Amino acid sequence: MSRSSLRALALSVAAASSLAIVACGDDDSGSSSSSSGAATTASEAPAEGKQGGVLNQLGASDVDYLDPGHTYYTGGYQVAYATHRPLYGFKPGQAEQVPDLAEAAPEIAADNKSITVKLKKGVKFAPPVNREITSKDVKYAFERAFSANVGGQYATAFFSAIEGAPTEPTKGVKEIAGIETPDDQTLVFKLSRAEAPGVAAALVMPITMPVPEEYAKEFDAKNPSTYNKNVVASGPYMVANNAEGALTGYKAGKSIKLVRNPNWDKATDYKPAYLDEINMKTNGADASVDAQQVLKGSAMALDTNPPAAELKQAATQYKDQYESVPAGGYRYFPLNTTIKPLDDLNVRKAILAAFDREAAVKARGGAFTGDVATHFLPPGFPGFEEAGGEQGAGVDFLSNPRGDMAVAEKYMKAAGYASGKYDGDAELLMISATADPGKAQAEVAKAQLEKLGFKVNLRLVPQDAVYTEYCQVPAKKVAVCGSAGWFKDFQDPQSMLEPTFKGSNISKDGGNNNLAQLDDPKIDAAMDKAAGLQGDERLKAYGEIDKMIVNAAPAVPFVWDKTTIIWSKDVQGDVNEYYTTLDFAFTSLK
Amino acid sequence: MGTYILRRLLWTVVLLFFVTALTFLIFNVLPTADPAKLRAGRNQTPETVAAIRDQLNLDDPFLTRFFSYLGDLLFHFDFGTSVLNDEPVRPLIFEALPNTLMLVLGAAVVWFVIGVVIGTISAVKRGSILDRVAMTTALVAISAPVYWLGLVALYLFSSDLGVLGLFPAAGTYDASRGVFTSISSLFLPWLVLAAAFSAIYARLLRSNLLETMSEDYIRTARAKGLKERTVVFKHGLRSAITPIITVLGLDIGILLGGAILTESVFGIPGIGRLSFDAIQRNDIDIVQGATLFLALGVCTMSLLVDVLYAFLDPRVRY
Repeated sequence: MSRSSLRALALSVAAASSLAIVACGDDDSGSSSSSSGAATTASEAPAEGKQGGVLNQLGASDVDYLDPGHTYYTGGYQVAYATHRPLYGFKPGQAEQVPDLAEAAPEIAADNKSITVKLKKGVKFAPPVNREITSKDVKYAFERAFSANVGGQYATAFFSAIEGAPTEPTKGVKEIAGIETPDDQTLVFKLSRAEAPGVAAALVMPITMPVPEEYAKEFDAKNPSTYNKNVVASGPYMVANNAEGALTGYKAGKSIKLVRNPNWDKATDYKPAYLDEINMKTNGADASVDAQQVLKGSAMALDTNPPAAELKQAATQYKDQYESVPAGGYRYFPLNTTIKPLDDLNVRKAILAAFDREAAVKARGGAFTGDVATHFLPPGFPGFEEAGGEQGAGVDFLSNPRGDMAVAEKYMKAAGYASGKYDGDAELLMISATADPGKAQAEVAKAQLEKLGFKVNLRLVPQDAVYTEYCQVPAKKVAVCGSAGWFKDFQDPQSMLEPTFKGSNISKDGGNNNLAQLDDPKIDAAMDKAAGLQGDERLKAYGEIDKMIVNAAPAVPFVWDKTTIIWSKDVQGDVNEYYTTLDFAFTSLK
Repeated sequence: MGTYILRRLLWTVVLLFFVTALTFLIFNVLPTADPAKLRAGRNQTPETVAAIRDQLNLDDPFLTRFFSYLGDLLFHFDFGTSVLNDEPVRPLIFEALPNTLMLVLGAAVVWFVIGVVIGTISAVKRGSILDRVAMTTALVAISAPVYWLGLVALYLFSSDLGVLGLFPAAGTYDASRGVFTSISSLFLPWLVLAAAFSAIYARLLRSNLLETMSEDYIRTARAKGLKERTVVFKHGLRSAITPIITVLGLDIGILLGGAILTESVFGIPGIGRLSFDAIQRNDIDIVQGATLFLALGVCTMSLLVDVLYAFLDPRVRY
């Protein structure tokens, strides 16, 4: 997904918003400042909170969708995880997934081709459905996400291994034979490929949130589905609705009102759900004004990173009113390995060696933005330590964050450029966004390439077009994508490395996420092997794959982002590292 | 008069047709990014994009789409649907419209009254200290960007962030609480939006009034022994203010399309804010709908002003 602030907004630009996205690519539309001042650690448990109260969250942009089968952005996830029960979820401060609607961890068959999930009893849908949730509701949630009417944005990407899973959007909701429901509390995923660990890790996504077929099918029959305005909740909160289920608490582009779900049973959930009501303003005032109101006001929180000035203010004057967490992703400058002279490994290593990554981080807003990256799996993410931790693969061409021209020239000479600099005629096309920080970081990247003698044609286009019209389209022959990022979809290293660096994932027809078009059979084979592994073996394997990718130098990794959320003095906020914004179900008033 | 209004109405319809055609052309033939690809997200496949193109009828010929849009617009007053979140555009505009109307009409009253009073005093007291102070202040007000002025106003006068705390905070305007309950939240936005306009109107009126006061008929009025107040207000101001009415009408019409900066700074959910968000998200149908609404506002206000002219200026006949 791409990040917004929104995003975007933005698009994010964003943009936006901007608009901030939970995972995958980043669209640079949101504010990017963050700080490490109150960063939580993975072992930190959520603190106890006071019961009751109303929280007001200020935000500049609306959610993408309220429909759990369609949402794929931070704002949508924030509401989804407060109002629905996925099979598995994450507690703030903890990296391991915990059962939510599921009763226990998924049972993976020895051949990695089947996953069995047992559901809790006694979990009910909110009004107007009011009945107990069964495995068929989760099965229907999966099936509808594959339909064109609902438009799920990642179903085919992460769940294509399920037997009978459609390879393209279906007309109407079609049954998937590979999802079996032997009884009301049992769900079995039959896989056509031995990829159960990866699929099991993805069972935290909103696609697993139950949807009652008898209620939703009339909405899903329309194209596009109108379930988005009639969503029925299963979590501790629900968007306020009327007797028929129409969402009266959702005013598009204005506000969302969450109230308690009267059918939610605390005994079945790990979430404390302290608050009685949450009012989300999705068309707030100026970002600085909003941030000031939050810091100086009462019972408020901001939905995304505050502007740099307010972030600094929070870090120095309001130290108990913010939390900074790893955003779970990396920003990088992909180098198109199919374009001369970037098809030469030594040339790419030379570029990485010369690159002043600190300057690029500064262009994005400085140290508050995040830490200088040395590889791809980000801090706190499974496989990070196995990939070398902060040190990374230990290669000489990434050892100096300020760049090292001597090392760069060594590699250029190895590539056949006797002077240590590029002396050819090729001009590299670099694409980036017209707005900062995409523009600023691309200008830094251009200067880094020019240090080595490359001629660079930096073309700035609207943020929305950066990916879909250029970087993701191999036919456009983009040599360097000037504002690329990839953020987690779930806590598994496979989802962080395969879409972006697996050769078999290159899509020549557009929508290509392997922006560098790295096609290394050894890396692909290692990925295929790692996909079937579990536990420590899996992490070790992906740590090694990260190192292999670094050694193939398909991109300049330059920052591991952080996200900072601020709140008022009487709020005890808790940021969920999974979707990197406030977790309503754990936040309370003091 | 009736014939004139009918003729102008017909021209307005023709004009709006061309504006609609041009707007549709710009937003559908020359977009920076394919809406289907935007909606499909980064995990898109050609099949997903194709399904969305089919869903949004993007593969239909341009003219088919245009006349379908025009038909919906004419017969159902339907501005289309947001390509990003499936929200129909018309309710979004109609919900935002009262907020923009409240902001713009209130500000218009403020800037018109201030502009006329200061402009008249400056013209009558030409060259005095009062005139110089008023015109210098006007210059400062014209030069100050609305965005900056709004932030300064909030940090000085808003109840939560301001030093003086005289006016309600930004983001507190909520029409659903009732117009009169929430109207106090508009005082500061009115003053900020009106600042630059007041200054322009004051300078414009001063200039017009000075020119008018040198006309022969003013001299005649004075020679007839009329009181200076009568000469200024009944004969001078009435004539000098007529061009101001034209500008006022057009300014209101343009602002009905949204006072983007003011609405953004103060968090007022008006058409400007709606457009701003839609532009950021590249939500074509909303931007298109807001643009058409702006055109409608300008045409309507232009028509009203022309009709009003006849009543204000006895020399004008249709």
